[in-house]
Amino acid sequence: METEKLYEITVYTENQVGLLSSIAGIFTRRSLNIEKLLVYPSRIEGIHKFKIQTRTDETHVRAVVLQIEKKVDVIKAYYYIDEEHSAQEVSAVKDFLAERETERNNNNK
Amino acid sequence: MEDKTGKVITGAEILLESLMNQGVDTVFGYPGGQIIPVYDKLYDYRDDLRHILVRHEQGAIHAAQGYARVKGTPGTVIVTSGPGATNVITGVADALIDSTPVVVIAGQVPNAALGTDAFQETDLIGLTTPITKWSHQIRRAEDIAWAVARAFYIAGTGRPGPVVLDLTKDAQVGMAEYQPVKCNFIRSYVEVPKPSAEAIDEAVKMIDAAEKPFVVYGQGITISGAEKALDAFLEKGDIPAGSTLLGLSALDSDNPHYVGMVGMHGNLTPNVMTQECDLLIAVGMRFDDRVTGTVNTYAKQAKIIHIDIDASEIGKNVPVDLGLLGDAREVLEALTAKIKTRKGRGWQMERIMCDAVEKHKVIDPEIHPEEGEINPGEVIAAVAEACKGEAIVVTDVGQNQMLAARYSRFKEGRSMITSGGLGTMGFGLPAAIGAKIAAPQRKVCLFVGDGGIQMTVQELGTILQEGTGVKIVLLNNNWLGNVRQWQELFFHERYSATRMVNPDFSMIAEAYGIGCATVEERSQLQEGIDRMLADDRPFILNVHVREESMVFPMVPPGKSVDQIMLNSKDWFDYGN
Repeated sequence: METEKLYEITVYTENQVGLLSSIAGIFTRRSLNIEKLLVYPSRIEGIHKFKIQTRTDETHVRAVVLQIEKKVDVIKAYYYIDEEHSAQEVSAVKDFLAERETERNNNNK
Repeated sequence: MEDKTGKVITGAEILLESLMNQGVDTVFGYPGGQIIPVYDKLYDYRDDLRHILVRHEQGAIHAAQGYARVKGTPGTVIVTSGPGATNVITGVADALIDSTPVVVIAGQVPNAALGTDAFQETDLIGLTTPITKWSHQIRRAEDIAWAVARAFYIAGTGRPGPVVLDLTKDAQVGMAEYQPVKCNFIRSYVEVPKPSAEAIDEAVKMIDAAEKPFVVYGQGITISGAEKALDAFLEKGDIPAGSTLLGLSALDSDNPHYVGMVGMHGNLTPNVMTQECDLLIAVGMRFDDRVTGTVNTYAKQAKIIHIDIDASEIGKNVPVDLGLLGDAREVLEALTAKIKTRKGRGWQMERIMCDAVEKHKVIDPEIHPEEGEINPGEVIAAVAEACKGEAIVVTDVGQNQMLAARYSRFKEGRSMITSGGLGTMGFGLPAAIGAKIAAPQRKVCLFVGDGGIQMTVQELGTILQEGTGVKIVLLNNNWLGNVRQWQELFFHERYSATRMVNPDFSMIAEAYGIGCATVEERSQLQEGIDRMLADDRPFILNVHVREESMVFPMVPPGKSVDQIMLNSKDWFDYGN
């Protein structure tokens, strides 16, 4: 058996109605209790950020994060067991959005 | 029709314009109070938009699924609020798990009544969020064109799936200027991820190093149009391949590399190969538990490469050595370009031995019995023979489905329409209607049991009204056969609630004006099939089959895929 730990999941999303229940549903389906939940505007303009704490093992947290990221209006999702992550994350999300912008422009050419 | 671009029109008209802008020419639906404005405008569009009036909303969604699976583009459903909307939910869940593109447009109460428990109000977004790719409420006419374009883009791209649009009365009757919208980009949604060059090279290295590689493919091949790419990959690497239930028809049944269906009621050869290979290459499939048996022993001896478009599937059920994210066709083409040409992989022994055992112990007794009652498998084999593998096969769920999967033959892709993931009884009849409407020039044969047909039997009315030439092969054994089989094998023959007292199906056929032949003796079977296939009209072939028939081989629950029951007494255990 894998050991259970307190994981912190961060999710960057578009500002769309219904995302909170959509994301919460992924936890409910696996009977995972949400220990802490914060939703607020991220440091990137127009992008919302979720911070979710849950107690589970790595296999489950990985699956949950991928299923969250699969939602159409979710940009990126990460998980951690420590809290030293915020700076890299924001730049990773910014890089992703810049890449997508280039693709959008290529699409429209 | 006149061009409405730039004109101020009602939301209902914007909806219909937007559907036509997506190339929709057929919708499946049922009217009701909160969707009347849309139906009112549909009257003006009746020459351009064919509306199939079903008899129950569940019939609409399953027909749209059958239509989408044959066409490869989203099926469209229009229903009213409340019960109209909740009646499609089974099909929406089915479409999600089987990656079927459908767009459901449901009416909703006026904006001011939302949240008040108004007549026929239900929280459709709340109900469908967990079972859709996207679920969205539209409250203003000016948002409709955008939402419809986005809905079709999301439903039809990437890993396809269902989208629900909840359209309030205000949005339908409100006025707005119509401008056509195209959607081909959502920044948070990566439609087709690309595997890295390093990952491709790593896969090539693993494939070239393998002595006995084996491919298991699923519906991803069909969805990405990778049928030829898969064939070329198998040919160059000289690799045998097994199909999942939903992968069936992606390869010609006579393809020399094709070794059969994997899983619980699959063929011996591919199940044994799964446990004997040194490299398992899984493409466009998701390691469903009906495919893997117990995951504790599944392909443990092998390295595993998993190719899929959905990142959340990689490593979800089975740990893999290498995940390749991307479109099945693109990835297979990239691999084929780089792998070494191989000949003479040492798989002959397994194939010859397993095929011989299965033929002798399972197939011959099922499809060539010398006497006794008619076996359901022999009916399917006879229909397959008569259709020369050219028909679209639609199934319901249960024994009819497993036997149709085992004994049908396929020459063309998109020819097997079945409810795999959700296992929805009642799917077959309406899905067959949708399939026939999508491909009117092809034969569509439905295999259905006496239980399943009665779950959506009202759709015979749709066949009557539309004249849809579906060929219904009713494998009638007066039991819920699959559950009865489990009760016999695993629940001490306690037949709890599985005996069916059935109506005279020939009288039902007659009531709906549908041709029917009842087959009670083996000597009547061929004549019945010939009569059924003689023209393009709807027909019910009501075959009284062996009541206690069972589907074998069977990997019982909790067993490894090479621990296989050949019948009630004999086991096949390849290793021993």
